[in-house]
Amino acid sequence: MGALLEIGLFVTLLALGYGVGRVLERRHYASIRRRERELADVLAFTMRFPPASTRAQDAFLVCGSVVVSSDYFKTFVAGLRGLVGGRFRGYESLLERARREALLRLKQDALARGARLVVCVRFESTSITSGRTPSIEVVAYGTALVPRPR
Amino acid sequence: MKLRNRAPAEGINAGEEHPLREFAWLAGGAIAVLVAAVVALSLGAQWLAPKLPYRYEARLVGELPAPAAPKDERGRAALAELQALADRLAARMALPEGLRVTVGLRDEGIVNAYATLGGHTVFFRGLVARLDSEDALATVMAHEIAHLALRHPAAALGRGLAVGLVLSVVSAEAGRGVAGAALGQTASLTLLSFNREQEREADRQALRVVAAEYGHVGGAIDLFEAFESMRRARGEGGAPQVEWLQTHPLTERRAQAARDWAAAHGVPADGARRPLPPALAALRGGAAVQR
Amino acid sequence: MITSNLELIPGMRVAEHLGIVQGSTVRAKHVGKDLFASLKNIVGGELKSYTELMQEARAEAVARMEAEARSIGANGVLNVRFATTSITAGAAEILAYGSAVRLVEA
Repeated sequence: MGALLEIGLFVTLLALGYGVGRVLERRHYASIRRRERELADVLAFTMRFPPASTRAQDAFLVCGSVVVSSDYFKTFVAGLRGLVGGRFRGYESLLERARREALLRLKQDALARGARLVVCVRFESTSITSGRTPSIEVVAYGTALVPRPR
Repeated sequence: MKLRNRAPAEGINAGEEHPLREFAWLAGGAIAVLVAAVVALSLGAQWLAPKLPYRYEARLVGELPAPAAPKDERGRAALAELQALADRLAARMALPEGLRVTVGLRDEGIVNAYATLGGHTVFFRGLVARLDSEDALATVMAHEIAHLALRHPAAALGRGLAVGLVLSVVSAEAGRGVAGAALGQTASLTLLSFNREQEREADRQALRVVAAEYGHVGGAIDLFEAFESMRRARGEGGAPQVEWLQTHPLTERRAQAARDWAAAHGVPADGARRPLPPALAALRGGAAVQR
Repeated sequence: MITSNLELIPGMRVAEHLGIVQGSTVRAKHVGKDLFASLKNIVGGELKSYTELMQEARAEAVARMEAEARSIGANGVLNVRFATTSITAGAAEILAYGSAVRLVEA
């Protein structure tokens, strides 16, 4: 009886991880695309040198960060994938979401402080594993430039 | 120089494949490979282990302490009767060379008995107290001796070692995650089916011996029905029984298998039961057997 | 597609900056090669299978970054940087990111 309960619990968690996880992921992507359209006029580049300009600029560091966690289903599939080799599709989508979110938050930070141009953007990511489920923190940081009023 | 941010196309970094498809073939594939490996290793170990001459097994367990020997008069008498029964039944089976069946009696109320390496069997007082006839007791005894005659303890040990090796490799890779736990469970469930097959084999041998000794298999059927009523008395009567989670076949199936065997071999399914020998019958009074 | 971690390509001029493009991949090696690597941990030396894994992953990440660049009409990616994160034991993410640009002869 005990073994049956264990198996039942496992299947329930898996179904929950898959069902709710997919819904949340779709919603997050929709939110990301919407905000990317809204923030399309805040420009970000990885170029080190700002475009040549005669006006003085205010320059300050802006950053955006997010921590996204994997779900039960993704972790299970990743465990199996570790035996077979190849691409972790679940983790790839997780990381893409985290990166796009971090970049959006960087743009939001810049916009909130009056900037429309961010240069020298860099990404850093760290894995935070609590228990068995990995989580990823992604930080995007860069220099925001605001032209000083004449 | 113009500056703009254009949004790149979707689906380059995150694939569009449906996650359930990947899950299906990964999980299905992993389970299939694992089950195949466990089955192959189990069959191999099972085939190999009994071929090992018995004297190696005996040497392996030579160092282990002998099972419980009762110290009081009553206990010694009961044990002597058990040993006599064992010897009578063992004479009807083809035992490997050098194997002598030794019986131990433990003073605990558990209803159980087991056979292990080195020709040792152990009976618990609770089991003896629960049975009404020598026929039923002989069925249990013959079942345990059959395990020894068929070298099941050695085969089970070989299986356990081989599968344990596979599992340690799997758990080294997938172990920390939930996948490792799930794969471990799959391997355990596969092993259980080998266990159940061994139990069925031992049941068949026991029926043969009991039929030869007593002329009918009534005692065996009594035994399985007693197990079934004990299970119901424990309050598990209502719960659905799932055979693939258990180490033994379902008790109802064992009783039915006994009737089918009797019908197939032209042996009566009923007959006069022989009463328990005196010292064993005395155990039913709740008298303690001193270690 | 010109991919470089330089800011300026000699002899070329940036006509248009088109934004940040990224390519990333998360990969694992299968258990057979992983076991071999565990044995190597005893004697030391280069873990060839993992080196191969990371090289393939990096090539894949750069390819994806270039695909994103192409999809927005760029013909070059400048200021490319790499970042590696280990997600769990045996799973590593390689990220390649840079600025997509439209280059013309100077």
